[in-house]
Amino acid sequence: MTEAEQPLIQIQELTKVFYTDEIETHALSGVHLSINKGEYVAMSGPSGCGKSTLLSIIGLLDTPTAGRYFLNGKTVENLDFAERSRIRNQEIGFIFQSFNLIGDLTVYENVELPLTYRQKMPAANRKARVMEALERVGMAHRVRHYPSQLSGGQQQRVAVARALGGKPSILLADEPTGNLDSRNGEAVMEFLQNLHREGATICMVTHDPRFAKHAQREVHLFDGKVVAEEELKKLLQETSA
Amino acid sequence: MTGLLQDLRYALRQLRKSPGFTAVAVITLALGIGATTAVFSVVDQVLLHPLPYPDSDRIVKVSQTFEGISTGDASPANYLDWVAQNQVFAQMAASRGWQGSLSAGDRPERIRGTMTTPNFFPLFGVNPMLGRGLQAGDAQAGNDHVVVLGYGLWQRYFAADHSIVGRDIRLNGEQYTVVGVMPPNFSPDEYGELWLPSPWGVPTHPLAPDKDPRQFRDRNYLDVWARLKPGVMPQQARAELDTIGRRLETQYPDSNDKTGVSFLPLHEYVVGDIRPVLLVLLAAVAVVLLIGCANVANLLLARATARAKEISIRTTLGASRRRLLRQLLTESVLLALVGGVLGLLLAVVAVPSLLALSPPDIRQFKQIGINREVLAFSFLASIVCGIVFGLMPALQSSRSSPSEFLKEGERGSTANRGRTRSALVIAEVGLSLVLLVGAGLLVKSFMRLMDVNPGFDPDHLLTFNLGLPSSTDAVRQLAFYQEVVQRLQALPGVQAVGAVSRLPLAGGNSSRSFSLPGIDKGYSADIRVSTPDYFRAMGIPLLKGRSFSESDLGSSLNVAIVNEALARTVFPGQDPIGKQLTKFGPDNLTLQIIGVVGNVRHVGLDTAPHSEIYQLLGQAPWPSMFVAIRSATSDPTSVTSAAQNVVWRVNKDIPLANVRTMQEVIANSVQRRRFSMLLFTIFAVVAMLLAAVGLYGVMSYSVAQRTKEIGIRMALGARRPDVVALVVKQGMALVLMGIAAGTTLALGMTRLISGMLFGITATDPLTFAAVVALLGAVAFLANYLPARRAASVDPMVALRYE
Repeated sequence: MTEAEQPLIQIQELTKVFYTDEIETHALSGVHLSINKGEYVAMSGPSGCGKSTLLSIIGLLDTPTAGRYFLNGKTVENLDFAERSRIRNQEIGFIFQSFNLIGDLTVYENVELPLTYRQKMPAANRKARVMEALERVGMAHRVRHYPSQLSGGQQQRVAVARALGGKPSILLADEPTGNLDSRNGEAVMEFLQNLHREGATICMVTHDPRFAKHAQREVHLFDGKVVAEEELKKLLQETSA
Repeated sequence: MTGLLQDLRYALRQLRKSPGFTAVAVITLALGIGATTAVFSVVDQVLLHPLPYPDSDRIVKVSQTFEGISTGDASPANYLDWVAQNQVFAQMAASRGWQGSLSAGDRPERIRGTMTTPNFFPLFGVNPMLGRGLQAGDAQAGNDHVVVLGYGLWQRYFAADHSIVGRDIRLNGEQYTVVGVMPPNFSPDEYGELWLPSPWGVPTHPLAPDKDPRQFRDRNYLDVWARLKPGVMPQQARAELDTIGRRLETQYPDSNDKTGVSFLPLHEYVVGDIRPVLLVLLAAVAVVLLIGCANVANLLLARATARAKEISIRTTLGASRRRLLRQLLTESVLLALVGGVLGLLLAVVAVPSLLALSPPDIRQFKQIGINREVLAFSFLASIVCGIVFGLMPALQSSRSSPSEFLKEGERGSTANRGRTRSALVIAEVGLSLVLLVGAGLLVKSFMRLMDVNPGFDPDHLLTFNLGLPSSTDAVRQLAFYQEVVQRLQALPGVQAVGAVSRLPLAGGNSSRSFSLPGIDKGYSADIRVSTPDYFRAMGIPLLKGRSFSESDLGSSLNVAIVNEALARTVFPGQDPIGKQLTKFGPDNLTLQIIGVVGNVRHVGLDTAPHSEIYQLLGQAPWPSMFVAIRSATSDPTSVTSAAQNVVWRVNKDIPLANVRTMQEVIANSVQRRRFSMLLFTIFAVVAMLLAAVGLYGVMSYSVAQRTKEIGIRMALGARRPDVVALVVKQGMALVLMGIAAGTTLALGMTRLISGMLFGITATDPLTFAAVVALLGAVAFLANYLPARRAASVDPMVALRYE
């Protein structure tokens, strides 16, 4: 397989078990997943199915209990904290449901923040990247504002700018519309669509089928396993019965 | 660098954003750093700085030893032999305290000067700032009426007159020419107002000023100073002095029996036994600072919970642990530096107050203050504090897992912080208990000390010192003091007046050797020369026999009154009245005991009374006497100006010196103990309050965290007292652990202050119990307030809120 054909993300037999006191909770059980470069994937499933856990592992915020995880062809499941921080900073852009902007930092500083963790990046480059990202989301005129002075939609656009500023290999979005009204939610989805059209790789967690349809491919999770759409419907029916 | 500036900018913003947190943290740190800096400024100057003389570590104070213990002084003949026989000292000089009256205007002033050998200044390596020092030619009869002024006297009495050199001044009614003025801060001992030579080269004996002192081998009154030759090690010098001492012992068995030579480095001599006191105080104040740091760490841990989201976002965006640590430590160090600057300002204000409280052996270090070293210490202490209190919260924050936060919101990893905060409170309670026990022991010691019967009645007593020139003969001495005492006695409101050569608890002592008829054994006792009514004036009880009377002056019999301690030691089971003491002093007098008086604590309230012999003024000469006036009024100082006028009517050149009530004399004698007790108590109370604030903070936070749980409990039927008990129990468990740890630590640590205690042991159970009760009560209050708040939770609101 050439590098161009190689999946950006490849996950094999991934398992995640949480231990609390004497109780074992299997959040993920033998998950297989591949995401190619430029692909737009939506992960959906009922509450507690393991979507966010899988996204955390993909985002190197958490480590699997077992299984393999290749990012850009390199195994990343057993990296130490520092190396995971570096890869997160350079390869992954996050968009959260609750925006997760830092209230004490201005719009500019929030977008600049991940770039300040990159060593040896000249200040001029940093500034150019920040302004480019903010212009892309239409927030360049709000650089001196604090998050509390922005609407929810504007805050999410700043969060997207922050994710884009680092020019990541993949954007991970965790319920990006969850805290937005439908109009702003639609706007964000449209924006992600545009980014995808421009070649961005996106992996989005959502429980809303309307937004999942924006993706190229939908991955369904149930009880920590990847299941086909038909099987998911059957399982959901069984559960409700 | 850019990153650091960013961190700094962000840290400043954080401090501005939470003014309440910043204020509490900065004030806590300022108190700790300020107090530590103030105490360090004293330690720095007293213990760490070399004395202000070139190569001061080569200067030593030499003295005789008796049975291996230093007497602190030396006789002129021994001194001259040491000078002649040693090969280890580049120079040796001898001096003695000299007191006299200086008169240049209407009012004479009592001066404390030094009579010295001419090489005194060269030995210390200090040149006069005006004129010259003493020269060999000055130490000859006829040339000896020259004087070098101390800087303080020159400033105070002569208004810093630069043309003073060459001018004549009157000392003890005689003319002296000023030949020089010494620079500021030159005063190797407390007699630094002026220096003058002796016509014999070696300082004369104060009671025999006209006699050639060079032959005196049994009159020890000289302070001897020496400078080690370059390359000579102290051990080498000690060995040679031992040899010289043994040689002189063999050569002069009568005077030098069991007598040797030893020396102390000058710094050790000057600092004396204040060193352990200062070190204990520095340790105590450092503990206060540590408790302050623990409090700020606790505040930071609480804030870290509030900032968990921010830290998680930063981690998610790729901040490494090191980078997070750097940012968080930048914030804590900045906080500490702001506290440090404020602390430094506090120290600037506190140092003068500290010095005002301090005993004279600290106050003599005139340069104590905020200097470069103290600034550096304060800066360093701030940085270290910032790291100490910032590191643990920073480590915990940087270790928190971002995925946990993303899943659980702000609840992630707070349990661990709770444990750390509890551990910090336990440590705070434990450390404050150690300080409180220390303070309790010192307070109890002090109270015990003040309960000691000094052997006289100190109330309604005014005392002062009068000094006649040492050249005044015995007849004129007697006439002067008799007339002064008589006239003072006639003043309205005066009940009794007496004079004595050495006032109890005022410093200074004199002793003489004596024997008993037909017995070869030698004895030694402290001697006092007094007027007949001295015992009545002081309220010293006459236990047997009679007191002195004027008629004893006409008798050829030398009479003596001894104290109870001497009677018991020298005449156990016998009546000492009528017994004789022979070979008394250098003149080998025979004294007959006519009375026995009660013991007086002369050296200190904490020192057992020595054997004492009182002689009658007139039968024994003494030029400088302390006068004690027992007044009928409640304020004995009301007769001060009348007393001064009386003295001036008798001799216009004699000023009243050291005018104090006897209560002031006592207070002065316990100043060092009061100083350490007071500071220790202040530190301990601050430590206790900080620990209480820390406990209050932890419990308040815990209550806030448990609002939902408390709401559920109340919804299920818990009554308010149940909730109060629940919270108080949790807090008091921490307190009990702190008390247990602190008690164990205190049992070991209080041994360090055992040398500062009087009348109690370092493990005094009552003090421990009282401290535990006090700390427990304060801690209970710190627990009760949050508990009461918890009990006022409305279960509906609490459940809805969550």
